Amino acid sequence: MKRRIQVVICRVCSGAANVLDVEKLLRVANEAPYVGSAIAVNYACNAKTIAQIVEEAKSREVDRMLIIPCSKSDVSPALFQAYKKKAKINEFLMETVDLVGEIVLPHRDNPARAQAKAESKLLAAITRMAMLEPLQKSSEKMRTKNVVIIGAGVAGVEAARQATQAGMHTILIEKSDKEVKAPGVVMPKTRLVSAKGHAGNFILTIEAGEKRETLECAAVVIASGGDWSDAKGPLVQACGAKPLYRLVQEIGEGIISREGVVIVDTPDPKADITSAQDFAWEDAIQSAIEIRKKSPETEVYLLFQEMRALGLDELSYRDAADLGVRFVRYDKKRPPHADPKDKSKIVVIDSVQGQTLSIPYGGVYYASIAPNPDNVSISEALRIPMTESGGLRRGSMQKGPIATPRPGVLVCGSAQFPRSENISRLEGRAAGALAAQLVSTGIVEFGGSVAEVTPDKCSACLTCVRTCPFEAPFIGNAGKAEIQLQLCQGCGMCVGICPSKAIELHNYTDDQLSTETASYIGGDF
Amino acid sequence: MAEREPKVVGYCCEKHGIECVNLAARSGKQYDASIRLVRVPCTGRVDGMHILRALEDGADAVFVLGCLEKNCYYDTGSIEGRKRVDYVKSMLSQVGIEPERVEMFNASSSMAWKFPEIVSTMTDVAKRLGPIEPRGDRQ
Ligand code: SF4
Ligand code: SF4
Repeated sequence: MKRRIQVVICRVCSGAANVLDVEKLLRVANEAPYVGSAIAVNYACNAKTIAQIVEEAKSREVDRMLIIPCSKSDVSPALFQAYKKKAKINEFLMETVDLVGEIVLPHRDNPARAQAKAESKLLAAITRMAMLEPLQKSSEKMRTKNVVIIGAGVAGVEAARQATQAGMHTILIEKSDKEVKAPGVVMPKTRLVSAKGHAGNFILTIEAGEKRETLECAAVVIASGGDWSDAKGPLVQACGAKPLYRLVQEIGEGIISREGVVIVDTPDPKADITSAQDFAWEDAIQSAIEIRKKSPETEVYLLFQEMRALGLDELSYRDAADLGVRFVRYDKKRPPHADPKDKSKIVVIDSVQGQTLSIPYGGVYYASIAPNPDNVSISEALRIPMTESGGLRRGSMQKGPIATPRPGVLVCGSAQFPRSENISRLEGRAAGALAAQLVSTGIVEFGGSVAEVTPDKCSACLTCVRTCPFEAPFIGNAGKAEIQLQLCQGCGMCVGICPSKAIELHNYTDDQLSTETASYIGGDF
Repeated sequence: MAEREPKVVGYCCEKHGIECVNLAARSGKQYDASIRLVRVPCTGRVDGMHILRALEDGADAVFVLGCLEKNCYYDTGSIEGRKRVDYVKSMLSQVGIEPERVEMFNASSSMAWKFPEIVSTMTDVAKRLGPIEPRGDRQ
């Protein structure tokens, strides 16, 4: 391998001109080992400039590029494309250095030290660049365009609609035999048993009635919802409190009690509640508004400890108040309870006003939704972690609000924690669209900067198998650890923890990291 | 000769860690220029050996910056990272080197104030403790 580096500094966006001496940076780069060309350009994202950079790369016969743009995300993909296609440079031999974010902006008051830091950063990046290996990605075809959706509630049906619209084939599995109106295949009385494979090519085992079947799919959407069975609690026993969705149904059917409606956060007000998020507050407020509109003589009370309506739904507090809905905040030390003398009234102490209210009611409803007990088996089958309160846990917010930590598996609606109907629908739509986006490529890409085991060094201690959050390492037939590349996300956790130092992460090897560090420490500070 | 500047190396994850650095910059925050960042895909990639070698090579202090533990891009990566840092700290105490020289931090991509805080904590440590003296000179 040649190991000849091209350094490209974009003068304009790197903002360097005001703080840094670009000509000096170029000189430093040119004097560094392995650098075959160092140029500064104006607008590295402009088509003409891209052509100029590629020409320079070809004539200097470089095989790798270090670009110093405005920010990593702002580099024109066209530059990388042209570099890859026209200059025939491996995509793993192109890196960016963020001088703007790390140096120009935070040190603009101190140009002298900014320059020293920029030079040492540049040299460290060149040192790293010279050590990088060209890597190849592999790919396999997705065997199906199936998207399996678990649960035919509001979120699940919406996900099916969205994914079907985008040309996917959806299979909706539903544990009950309720009537479901959704496109694609609907399998009633079906549940998920286990899952194998990886994003793009999953193999699920499902149980339809008594029969076990395997089902291949490219993506999975979990829309298992909350637990809709009736909860327990003093208010259920004493006042016949019902879940909120029943109120929504009743309003839809035009059954509204004239004796008053009480909506309370939980049927067991003394119990610990995890957070205000755990209630479908938007639905509670909307129902209260509807009741007041349709039946103005019905008094509506909302009893709560904490309330949180999301986003624009906050506006509905005012609408509700204008229509005469009563908001009563209580303290769980003095919980609302049925009047011992007259069971048709609820007694509550307003913790803001200090007043004791005795509220006559025709119906009591609670806004909490318990987590679905099926979450346990779904979490085991798909290997998704659970939250402390029994929901399915999503992954890092950087992956989006409906992604689970496992690639190819999405979660929407009350499966995470209680959601109002509207938000469930939106999340279902998002999940359907994202699943379709994933599947539409028809190709699973993997490999590149991933982990690799040196079998001779491996002592089969299983540490990597236990540590990897994606379950990529396994002990193969030879009795040594192997990495299933389709599952490896390239985080390197197994590398750092292997007691035998038997694993390396391509392009983040121990040697590469330590040499880069040493280059920094040896430079000016 | 000018006053010696502290030498601090940070291993920073490419997910929330680097985003937090960027947000600080784009929010106009200014901080000491003694920090050198080495990018790693995830703080779980950091090995105790990297930290020790950085100290051996002459860094005054080393820190690791990863995602918040409940919001880690690789789910458990920053928890692993912390374990490695804690291990190194306990080793340092055993050989008589101040464990404060090594620290783990967590941030999310929306915490603009966090990185300048980290920088000032670590440069203060580096200034206060100065370079690690060669073994023979230690009492
Ligand atoms: S941690 Fe290292 S030694 Fe242990 S099984 Fe994995 S590769 Fe082999
Ligand atoms: S690099 Fe990360 S994802 Fe890949 S095998 Fe190791 S721990 Fe698992």
